[in-house]
Amino acid sequence: MVDVNAWLNDLLAGNKIFTPATMAHYWEGLVTTTQLVFVSLIIGLVLAVPLAIMRSSKRKWISLPVYAYTYVFRGTPLLIQLYIIYYGVVFFDGIQESFLWPIFREAFYPALIAFTLNTAAYTTEIFRGAIKATSKGEIEAARAYGMSESLLMRRIVIPSAFRRALPAYGNEVIFMLHASAIASVVTLMDLTGAARYVYSRFYTPFEPFLFVALIYLCLTFAILFFFRFLEKRLLAHLPSQSA
Amino acid sequence: MLDLQGYGPRLIEGAGVTVQLAVLSLLLAVFLGLLTAIAKMSRHWFLHRIATLYTTVIRGVPDLVLMLLLFYGGQIGVNAISDMLYDHFDIDIYFSFDAFAAGVLTIGFIFGAYMGETFRGAFMAVDNGQIEAGKAYGMSSVLVFRRIRFPQMMRHALPGLSNNWMVLLKTTALVSVIGLTDMVRVAAEASRATHEPFVFLVPVAVAYLLIASVTEWIFAWLQKRYNVGYGE
Amino acid sequence: MADTPTPLEVRNIKKRFGDTEVLKGLSLQAQKGDVITLIGASGSGKSTFLRCMNLLEQPDDGELFVHGERIAFKYTKHGREPQDWKQVVRMRAKLSMVFQSFNLWAHMTLLENIIEAPVHVLGKSKREATEHAMSLLERVGLTHRAKAYPAQMSGGQQQRGAIARALAMDPEVMLFDEPTSALDPELVGDVLKVMRDLANEGRTMIVVTHEMSFARDVSSKVVYLHQGLVEEAGTPEEVLGNPQSPRLKQFLAPKY
Repeated sequence: MVDVNAWLNDLLAGNKIFTPATMAHYWEGLVTTTQLVFVSLIIGLVLAVPLAIMRSSKRKWISLPVYAYTYVFRGTPLLIQLYIIYYGVVFFDGIQESFLWPIFREAFYPALIAFTLNTAAYTTEIFRGAIKATSKGEIEAARAYGMSESLLMRRIVIPSAFRRALPAYGNEVIFMLHASAIASVVTLMDLTGAARYVYSRFYTPFEPFLFVALIYLCLTFAILFFFRFLEKRLLAHLPSQSA
Repeated sequence: MLDLQGYGPRLIEGAGVTVQLAVLSLLLAVFLGLLTAIAKMSRHWFLHRIATLYTTVIRGVPDLVLMLLLFYGGQIGVNAISDMLYDHFDIDIYFSFDAFAAGVLTIGFIFGAYMGETFRGAFMAVDNGQIEAGKAYGMSSVLVFRRIRFPQMMRHALPGLSNNWMVLLKTTALVSVIGLTDMVRVAAEASRATHEPFVFLVPVAVAYLLIASVTEWIFAWLQKRYNVGYGE
Repeated sequence: MADTPTPLEVRNIKKRFGDTEVLKGLSLQAQKGDVITLIGASGSGKSTFLRCMNLLEQPDDGELFVHGERIAFKYTKHGREPQDWKQVVRMRAKLSMVFQSFNLWAHMTLLENIIEAPVHVLGKSKREATEHAMSLLERVGLTHRAKAYPAQMSGGQQQRGAIARALAMDPEVMLFDEPTSALDPELVGDVLKVMRDLANEGRTMIVVTHEMSFARDVSSKVVYLHQGLVEEAGTPEEVLGNPQSPRLKQFLAPKY
């Protein structure tokens, strides 16, 4: 224990790593990470609901294109998707002349687009699974009461699918948080980017990377507990899953 | 065949690196995963704690951060070990910590945690009566493990294993960030040099889908083998 | 007879699960050729008692002797445990158990099931074990199912296969844990017939069962358990023909 104390004192005395300046970097990084993850998750979720309904359709020409989309985005590394959008965005005709260019020249928006498309694909499949798992009895009961197909979808299938999808969606949120670290590869100053910056300044790998690892760990736990809480509130009506 | 402005051969080499990296990481991950699962089921609280800490921390931190930590930190750690060996035991060896080793170690280490959960669930899914029958016929616990628990566990573990493999395969793309020339790095370099990203990145994306499809087929075949005796 | 050691003897076995004492001090001695049936209502502890005999359950108290050899116990923080698991493994190889739910190993064919323990526990050669297994399969009428997996067989076939697996060990004592309870009624007869044959050829057997006709016709001794204690024990004529305790009388009374 004495050793640890001495080490800690040493660290604080000769500390160039945890200074107000680097802390500001980490804080900025945390803000960027949060924005990226939060916004891409929200848009992804909004996209995923109609996509999941289309994916569940019995008509092949509706479900197949959605399947192709989810297959490609779930089957290839997010890094490739990010590169394609980041390097490829200049090829959209006229984008460099348009008012959008200042936005797309920054790495933030390509990253946001890549993350959004990626999480939308995963979320679509999560919802599709949940929709597919709706009990036949519930559907038949609704039909027996004269519900139309769209009413049945809106009132019975979707609400119960949402609840069933919750645990898997919680995992997807954590996955997105972790995946967002690759934003630093395209020069974005997210949390990981901040750690890489501090590393490149001081050439000490342990402090910056362990520090952001700890932050990610805390965020992960926060998400985990949030979803546990939601599950408890929303899934109370479902039979408890045997462990 | 595929010249791709002179980048073709390097892309194919890069694909080789990707596959080697993925397979070696998988082997390490399976090994670590089995150890973790066994530790988690053990009665020794210390082993149990260590395994839980490992799976919790690894699954709570982004792969890229762990990879950077291990790659940059690894060389320092390795240097410290060789210094220590030299100072105390007069042994003079130098380990170099290259990007490939760092990649295999990190990815294997990360997915070992996921595999650990998969294997633990699969071990728990083995019917207790099957194990009891082994015990009742005088099998030692090692023999019960080797002849009954392990083969029966594999049947339950394969779907999760195949899932983890697909994620692992995609995770290998991250090694391009620590300087390993896998196919993603070659494609990114080529994109920057030629300003034609689609020409290089799209084929690489297709290559990932291809590798995934082939291995999916292998897993389906394995599943069929391990399903022998369980009806259809 | 006198100089051969008793195949299996247990003394004063006690077992509790949490707050409930399931076995309150049970003793039993199986001499060579004995067929002992344990009867009693469900919850009387008869299956637990049987599972204590090969230490699938750890008794909290009491002693075990297999072929005259005493099993040594020690106390750990997990409770009472055998001192030497190698001794337990050795002892279990002398006692074969037939389970209520068969527990044939699902990933092996019937033949592989039967030779598994002889090859890997007793160290027999694969050829010798296979020859023995085929003759046992013929005995139980399953030669044609040697290559089948358990899931492809009926319950009755699985249980006869499980009996062949038990016989392959050349056990000193065979333990049967409600071997016919999981079977459809029309399949019970085949299994009972095999068990009768075994009894007639002088096998030492301890059988937990609900089949009163088997207990009456085949066993040399019947033990009636009630709430973890022996309520009555003796020959089938004594116990089943002339029950003393009111509870046993009620237990034996026709259900309809």
